[in-house]
Amino acid sequence: MKLVGIAGSVADKSYNRLLLKYIAREFKDVVDLDVLDINDVPLFNQSDDQTDSPAVQAISNKILAADGVIIATPEHNHTITASLKSLIEWLSFNIHPMSGKPVMIVGASYYDQGSSRAQLNLRQILESPGVDAIVMPGNEFLLANVKTVFDENDNLKDDRTVSFLKETLGKFTKFVKVINKMNEKEDPGWQSEDLESHGKVETTVEGVDMHAADWVEKAAEKTNAAEGDDYVKLDRGLLTVNQLNYFLNSMPIELTYADANNQFIYYNHFLEAKDMLAARTPGQAGNPMADCHPKRAIPHVQQVIHMLRTGQTDMFRLPVPGMGPDKYVMHYYKAMHDAKGEYKGINELVLDIMPIVQYYLKHTGQMLVKDPDADTDAVSGASTNTKPEKTDAVSGASADTEPEKPATAEPEKPDEVSGASANS
Amino acid sequence: MHKFVAIVGTNSDNSTNRKLLQFMQKHFADQATIELVEIKGLPMFNKPEDKQIPAQAQAMAKQIDQADGVIISTPEYDHSAPAALMNALEWLSYYVNPFADKPVMITGASYGSLGTSRAQEHLRQILDSPELRARIMPSSEFFLGHSLQAFDDDGNLVDQTKLAKLEDLFADFQTFVDITKQLNHANAANKQEIHDIDWANR
Repeated sequence: MKLVGIAGSVADKSYNRLLLKYIAREFKDVVDLDVLDINDVPLFNQSDDQTDSPAVQAISNKILAADGVIIATPEHNHTITASLKSLIEWLSFNIHPMSGKPVMIVGASYYDQGSSRAQLNLRQILESPGVDAIVMPGNEFLLANVKTVFDENDNLKDDRTVSFLKETLGKFTKFVKVINKMNEKEDPGWQSEDLESHGKVETTVEGVDMHAADWVEKAAEKTNAAEGDDYVKLDRGLLTVNQLNYFLNSMPIELTYADANNQFIYYNHFLEAKDMLAARTPGQAGNPMADCHPKRAIPHVQQVIHMLRTGQTDMFRLPVPGMGPDKYVMHYYKAMHDAKGEYKGINELVLDIMPIVQYYLKHTGQMLVKDPDADTDAVSGASTNTKPEKTDAVSGASADTEPEKPATAEPEKPDEVSGASANS
Repeated sequence: MHKFVAIVGTNSDNSTNRKLLQFMQKHFADQATIELVEIKGLPMFNKPEDKQIPAQAQAMAKQIDQADGVIISTPEYDHSAPAALMNALEWLSYYVNPFADKPVMITGASYGSLGTSRAQEHLRQILDSPELRARIMPSSEFFLGHSLQAFDDDGNLVDQTKLAKLEDLFADFQTFVDITKQLNHANAANKQEIHDIDWANR
């Protein structure tokens, strides 16, 4: 279980940080606790938005990726520290990474009270709508008189305190599971993938007919798109649009961009459709993906897109036979994401890997032989020169058989999937 | 005539709490001198080992020390007082004691309808802590909800019922300040105890 620990103090010496580090060490077989530093988080100011500062973003991303959060708070002036409150304000202003997150509060203090009021106060703050965390009820862990409770190795001395902490942490791990179960979103399922692209994403060009053969020209005009010698700043480099085209069109791979709205918006157009491994025509660019696939292939395409969109897999591989024994054509469907991990569409790469295999064999003095122990049904054609008798992974483009029902139980193994080429 | 320090409880450039205090400064000019104090610019409180507080905080402490009372107007962030205000109060309790037995009136303005009810409760709890020991005017609350619509173009409170309430509370505060001046027998001891708080080991 992945947890992040936040010590509510920016002071060099903090018993609350010490307590979290102790928990991380002592209970490492129970939880994987990453103790974060809040020292670089600026004081919250709503008229100087620093949500995107590295310090705030780093903490937010770690919280988002964690199963739960443990906050250790000191008590200043009957309440939590301004530094902790400031962090919480950033995390409730324009971003809300704590929303629905299970939280356990602990606190250490120099005096007998052990941060009792700060803890109550922190509960109230965490449960406000902007923060929207889910704080574990009860189980208050108040560590008083901190000066005397740690030994020289920064371990808690008192066995009863340790066993209470262990018990509390054990309850929290269960609490985390329950809350995260409660938070699980209903997956709308692969059927929700709209290949007619009725939705829209921030890059969707509205008011241009997606089905039109001159979609590229119309959409370029509408968006005042860069072209020719216009420069484009890239990660990492600077090219003109022409240079970008030289570059992409010299790739020995057929590339296709389908956006998060399932719209086919680009392919590197360096071959005529008849010469391509996966045929595309210039007029298809801009089409909803439904236009590019035969009806019978649609459910399988939906399944693959949904797997990529929901992160069940980052790349889906599919050999597509049917191009003759000298070719082994692979379709790779790679999910694309922005810096925040948001799904941005699919990069489909189509290439014949046989020249690569042949080159390798020739230059290393090897040959392909049949593996007698192989348990795969999908056999390489080229070296054996036998026609594969049966294959699990069949291309949509070439398969003219009626497809079976979509394999809903095992979407990672659709019987038939194809790319934009499958309109034959 | 009493001299009050009015603390704007936010570092935001646009604040209806600042507006409220500016209005009070103008409206009660014939009854009291009110100086507005900004908390913007204070660094994050970090318990410096040399026990020194920033010059801005020192100046604030001095102003409060010399004032007859303090008015704090707080926004509400996440059901509580803003970090910026908490931060200022941390500095003002760190080996300084300007709030010891100091009369305080709390007001608050918010865009929504509640007018910072929870932040005011929070602020009372903070001001009542052993590190601050302020004398908060009891059983009095001034909530200015829907604060974006509360002022006219000249910065005057539009709602006459609200204005009457504020005038009454301010009159009470004047009396409260006079009474509180007599409740000062433990003042020296309070100041000493604040000064003796061990911040280093928290």
